[in-house]
Amino acid sequence: MGGLQKKKYESGSATNYISRNKARKKLSLSLADFRRLCILKGIYPHEPKHKKKVNKGSTAQRTFYLLKDIRFLMHEPIVGKFREYKIFVRKLRKAYGKAEWGTAEKLRGNKPGYKLDHIIKERYPTFIDALRDVDDALSMCFLFSTFPRTGKCHVQTIELCRRLSVEWMNYIITLRSLRKVFLSIKGIYYQAEVLGQIITWLVPYQFAHDHPTDVDYRVMATFTELYTTLLGFINFRLYQTLNLVYPPKVTHSQPAVMLHFDLLSEFGFYCSLLSLSKLSALSASLVRVVSTAEAEEAELDHFPAEGEDGEKLAERLKARQDQDRQEKLFEGLKFFLNREVPRESLAFVLRCFGAQVSWDKSLCIGSTYDVTDETITHHVVDRPSLEKQYINRYYVQPQWVYDCVNARMLLPVEDYFVGVTLPPHLSPFVEEKEGDYVPPEKLKLLALQKGERPEEEEDNDDSEEEEDEDQSDDEDELKGMEEKQASSVKVTPGEAKPVNRQRAEQEAKAEEKRLAVMMMKKRDKYLYDKIMFGKKRSVREANKMSAKRKALDEASKANKKKKLKK
Amino acid sequence: ARNMAAARRHKRVAASQPGFLRLKPDLDHSASRIGHKKRVNKNKKKNWNKYSDIQDVEEFLEDVRLQERATGGLLSDKSDDGLFFVDVGEQKVRPDPGAVEKKGKGLKPLRIDLILQPDSQVPPPKDILAYQQPNARKLRLMAQKAEKLAAMGVLPRRERLLQRRRIPGSEKPVANNDPARAFYDLWRPDQGCDVFSDPPPRWQRPEKLNVKPSLLPAVEVAAPGASYNPDFTSHQALLLEAHETEVAKLKAEEKLARQLAVRKEDLATEESVFREQVEGLIEEEEEKLEAEEDDEGTAVGPTAQTEKKTEKQRKREKADRVKLQKKAERKAIDSRQQLFQLRTISAELRRREQQTSVRRTRRKDQQEREKVQPRRLGKLRFQAPDLDVQLSDELSGSLRTLKPEGSILKDRFKSLQKRNLIEPRERAKFKRKFKVKYVEKREFREIQ
Repeated sequence: MGGLQKKKYESGSATNYISRNKARKKLSLSLADFRRLCILKGIYPHEPKHKKKVNKGSTAQRTFYLLKDIRFLMHEPIVGKFREYKIFVRKLRKAYGKAEWGTAEKLRGNKPGYKLDHIIKERYPTFIDALRDVDDALSMCFLFSTFPRTGKCHVQTIELCRRLSVEWMNYIITLRSLRKVFLSIKGIYYQAEVLGQIITWLVPYQFAHDHPTDVDYRVMATFTELYTTLLGFINFRLYQTLNLVYPPKVTHSQPAVMLHFDLLSEFGFYCSLLSLSKLSALSASLVRVVSTAEAEEAELDHFPAEGEDGEKLAERLKARQDQDRQEKLFEGLKFFLNREVPRESLAFVLRCFGAQVSWDKSLCIGSTYDVTDETITHHVVDRPSLEKQYINRYYVQPQWVYDCVNARMLLPVEDYFVGVTLPPHLSPFVEEKEGDYVPPEKLKLLALQKGERPEEEEDNDDSEEEEDEDQSDDEDELKGMEEKQASSVKVTPGEAKPVNRQRAEQEAKAEEKRLAVMMMKKRDKYLYDKIMFGKKRSVREANKMSAKRKALDEASKANKKKKLKK
Repeated sequence: ARNMAAARRHKRVAASQPGFLRLKPDLDHSASRIGHKKRVNKNKKKNWNKYSDIQDVEEFLEDVRLQERATGGLLSDKSDDGLFFVDVGEQKVRPDPGAVEKKGKGLKPLRIDLILQPDSQVPPPKDILAYQQPNARKLRLMAQKAEKLAAMGVLPRRERLLQRRRIPGSEKPVANNDPARAFYDLWRPDQGCDVFSDPPPRWQRPEKLNVKPSLLPAVEVAAPGASYNPDFTSHQALLLEAHETEVAKLKAEEKLARQLAVRKEDLATEESVFREQVEGLIEEEEEKLEAEEDDEGTAVGPTAQTEKKTEKQRKREKADRVKLQKKAERKAIDSRQQLFQLRTISAELRRREQQTSVRRTRRKDQQEREKVQPRRLGKLRFQAPDLDVQLSDELSGSLRTLKPEGSILKDRFKSLQKRNLIEPRERAKFKRKFKVKYVEKREFREIQ
């Protein structure tokens, strides 16, 4: 032997990975700066398949990065800015230590800063790529905008997040593309459709919350830095697609009164808090670059796409009509929000579907009409009772609005009156497959949507399985036939039975299926039984659940009766 | 005669000077002067100034000027209050108990300051030397020329050099998180970013980095049981899930406790204690003898062994040869018989294939599952976040009385960890490092 022997860990996966500390030293950055850089550039640690090889025989748990990624990081200009900042901090500390206040002031004035524009362009080369990542960005921005302005987190970041989230909400209102809302105990989930992408984001409630201690704030702040820049550029582009002025301005209904506000907002971007707060009121529409009269009226002609039949085209048209109808869900209705309801969330949802919203003047600016307005159709209240009631308006609880949005139709208002026990708030994000348990409330909703009258509670536990129906029908048929044979022995002129063609087809199909099942080999039949058993498991579970629910309902009814008797 | 006239004139002039003392005091000066009035011709310009006595006017004007200079205007024009005051003796001014003392608002200037202010109507003379500039015209012409050039766009040399020194990136940078920062269309084809918009190909982002590290969605919607007003079954399902996790935790703890608990067999009984105490004290001779024999058996001379081995070797070789032959025969028979065993062989093959395919599907499933799971990226493992669930009695039917459960900050943090974007970390603990104290040993201390 001898000569060129291959040594261990000199090639292969051991050289493709580099540990975190080695990478940090290669870039000559501190650990916090290295982490920040990785987050900004989108470089994530990798778990190698064979950790022992990569770790050169040891099994200690280490964080590994791909060597190519770290080499790519070395050409980033932001690394230089980080080093400049470190030097700046050192100089500043020296100046303070030596009590050279003049030098300190001068240094402070020339604080080094960096911009993330080129990173965004590199990570998201097209606009659609950026839109795909906007869920995360939105949730972060909404979360940070609810933070208290104590100074623990940069107040500027909080204000920027607030501005971006308000801009986004105004865009969604103008686009009218909100699809689903879900109120959970954590926060409010919204789902909207923007340029073909479905975007889901989470907004916390406006109540004060205490912050957990085991969350790394620096990491979250770095993510927010990246996401605010991303969201800002996305907002600009989205506003451009709708021909809206960016930064957004609000149209004024009463030009005489609002004139001096207008003048203020002419100078610079958001030099006045007033313009931002008017935007955040979400009650007025945005200014457009081009007049909208012609743009909106022109309806696009519908041409069939290649390879589509007439049926598909009809389906698409129908879907679009449904969507249009859904967008105008609350059109023409006038809402008034009472003080105790979440104003921003409700205003956003209502305006997304074409309603007019207002609230008490002392709550927030931007209220267009007062509580005494006679043309108000719905008044949203969350109190157990209300003393003064106007006649020609409905007093509803806020859940009515959200449930209507999820059901895509106006639900009967009686279930949501003030002081009435609300029906449960179902999640629109749950899609029940065949055989899954469907709660009775959802069945009622589906029935309402189909236009049937709501059935009574006892009949609601019927499952909608085709096979069950078929089987039960067949059994009934057989029984009926037997009875007929037994009773009628006489010969009477026959009656022409109207043949239900659909029914006949279904029966024929079922017959064929049964024949095929009978003709199977034993081996195959065994397999088939196993499969059907597995399929029917979910059905059996559903039946169990409905039985449980029935038991609970009966128990609650019994309780109610007892209470009534008392 | 002329000399006498001149002398007489001279005497007369001397006598008419004021302060001239006469021997005889002249009571009535007019007696010497009556009839001696010199007749002057006032029609000549020369004599207008000479023989007119304007002393009184001059005195009056001087007086006026003095008043203007010193007292700020004619005294006759001043009001009585400015010049005199009626002295009615000291009066004690009682402060009004109701009036609140205003500090600063009612602060009038002091009377002494008012008195001491210069109130002359004659302004101090202007120092014209201060306004004189010898080359004012030159400077004015230069300024006009510079203006004309600046209007055309030509800058003086100094400004040009200064502007050339300016570095484009060193102007005050706009902070990234400035709430009033401007955005532009980043994705326009000809839009260049401020910095580093077009890196050379070898510095461009590698393709692998565009792949997301996890297939999980960024925002996972909560289960329907986590609604603020959930329906019965989904709430029960969620409670069951939470219950299961708690039960699993308890089970793990119990298992650990069980494993660490003391077993009944390990407890010391009287018998075992006695045996331990007595161990080693009672010797058994049989064991010793056996040990000795074994030792003897192994000590054998080297020559005897080689002979045995050669015989053994021959036997072994023969046996091996026979074995090989038998093997070859067997092999021939087998290969002929395999023709008749085709069915079983194919069955065997099918079974093996099935096994490999099962293993393949299992491996693929495992891979798919791994893609969705959080990977182990560092020292700590990913801890799944606690389920946010409100118990039945905590549920409030109204949005107003809702108490939010769980923190979105934590939820987002855990989601980032779950999607392999950051490694799970825990808060750095504050370790107190004590300084090592060095104390001399007692022996060293004694040696002095």
